[in-house]
Amino acid sequence: MSEKQEEMSLDKRLALVSFNKDSEPFIVVDTKLCQQCERKPCLYICPAQVYNWQDQLNYNTEGCMETGACLIVCHKIGAKAISWKYPSGGKGVSFRLG
Amino acid sequence: MGRWGDERERRCVALTLHLRTDRPRAKPDKPRDGIKERELSLEGFEVAVVGAGPAGSAAALTLAREGVQVLLVERGTFPGSKNVFGGRIYSYALKRLLGERWKDAPVERFVRKEGITFMTADSSFSVEYESKDPTGSFTSIRSKFDKWLAEEAEKAGASLITDSRVDDLVLERGIVKGIIAGPDKIPTDAVIACDGTTTNLARKAGLASMLEPREVSIGMKDVIELPADKMEERLGLEPEEGAAHVFVGECSGGLRGGGFLYTNKDSLALGMVVGADDISTKKVPSHTLMDRLRNHRKVRRLIRDGKTIEYDAHMIPEAGPKMLTRPYTGGMLVAGDAAGHLLNNGYTFRGVDMAIVSGIAAAQTILEARKRKDYSAQSLQTYERRLREEPALKDMYTFSKVPRYLRNNRLYNVYPELVCNAAEAIYRVDGNRKRKIYKELRTQTKGKVSTISLIRDLLAGARTF
Repeated sequence: MSEKQEEMSLDKRLALVSFNKDSEPFIVVDTKLCQQCERKPCLYICPAQVYNWQDQLNYNTEGCMETGACLIVCHKIGAKAISWKYPSGGKGVSFRLG
Repeated sequence: MGRWGDERERRCVALTLHLRTDRPRAKPDKPRDGIKERELSLEGFEVAVVGAGPAGSAAALTLAREGVQVLLVERGTFPGSKNVFGGRIYSYALKRLLGERWKDAPVERFVRKEGITFMTADSSFSVEYESKDPTGSFTSIRSKFDKWLAEEAEKAGASLITDSRVDDLVLERGIVKGIIAGPDKIPTDAVIACDGTTTNLARKAGLASMLEPREVSIGMKDVIELPADKMEERLGLEPEEGAAHVFVGECSGGLRGGGFLYTNKDSLALGMVVGADDISTKKVPSHTLMDRLRNHRKVRRLIRDGKTIEYDAHMIPEAGPKMLTRPYTGGMLVAGDAAGHLLNNGYTFRGVDMAIVSGIAAAQTILEARKRKDYSAQSLQTYERRLREEPALKDMYTFSKVPRYLRNNRLYNVYPELVCNAAEAIYRVDGNRKRKIYKELRTQTKGKVSTISLIRDLLAGARTF
């Protein structure tokens, strides 16, 4: 009973989901604005951790699960830096067991 | 308007291609008139339904059945491929849409057992209910369910195109006259927007502004493969029966939200739903809550030796129908998640049933308007009345104060612990003097919550639920 469940790293989790990369950028961040962002909510809200911080905001749209929550928190709590739309038709994430 | 003028006659090449090359379609129940013409062009559709989720497919099916030329547009490679939910569908909505044919639905398990667990880091208090009739709801998988429902709409005569993102509306003097998908403009008499929580189309039509973080939650889930007999043994289920369980307390780390568990045929859907405002302001990376849930002793033994086979996430609107200023405008209706048609009252989570019922209501409104040949906002305003009079959707208005009540963080960081500690005090016999239960309860609340807050929360709860 005491054994700890195997930790599921996020990378491991994301490797289980199929993505079809959209060549058109569907997330664009004005990262200059992020420098002034105090709360950086995007770093916490995204269940796929599309966003990370190393001296500046970095983002990797491959892995995006298209919740759209980053846009809301960025505009209401953050620096209004994120532009977001769904990937083109047929592109992006595809859930088999959602 | 001149901008659209020269495009008006243009053929919709890209979309036409999809219509031709789409996967083999189910044979329609009755022959469809004009199908040849439609395969050559996307003109001539009376109604475009955007989004082939439960709301969209229910609307398209209801319209097609009455002979309306309906185009159902889906951005995923197949209906359901973009959709995620906890795991359960209430059957009544499907019965209403399909009659006896609802039994063809891709059911994982009918839900026999309902349960809730209040948890601290190292203790838990669970309540379980075993229903005499499990057919009232079933677990399902969206890639199967949504696909099946869209096929039902196709059988009724609707035309489905996939891989198509609708970017904009065709607006003429503020009236919606069609949709724009990539390079293609598709003129229609009316549009039903079932485009989900982010509802681009309701925003384009001026019916919604951006939601507030407190009005949405993030849902995440692991699908964990587990042999059926093992699952049934662990959850105390007869073969093929299912369970639904809710977790409150430690798993959300005090944030507004909780965990859920649903049984599929041979997998468990285990997930968390947490308020976007709480995650952002308390700076808890959302996905770490999954590990918190998985590692709780109550959950750990349920999923032991299970293999995680998928990780999904989705955004959930929590504001109810007031997320739109109104669910209609000239030429357009909004249904499903896009219109806030879902209900989380803390112990039941309803989305798919409400989406289906609101999709039907939207279709019926269009059918009436079609008879009048009038799709103006004034003509379509009967939709709002339908929504309010529809018994299933009425629940949204009955429980309209629930979202505000559920924003009380004591529900997540005080009361679960209180319940567990009280149980500990009641059940523990250690040779020290035992006190009567009410005295024990009083002691437990000390320093955690004032009597006034406790009474206020109880009274508000009684009024809200």
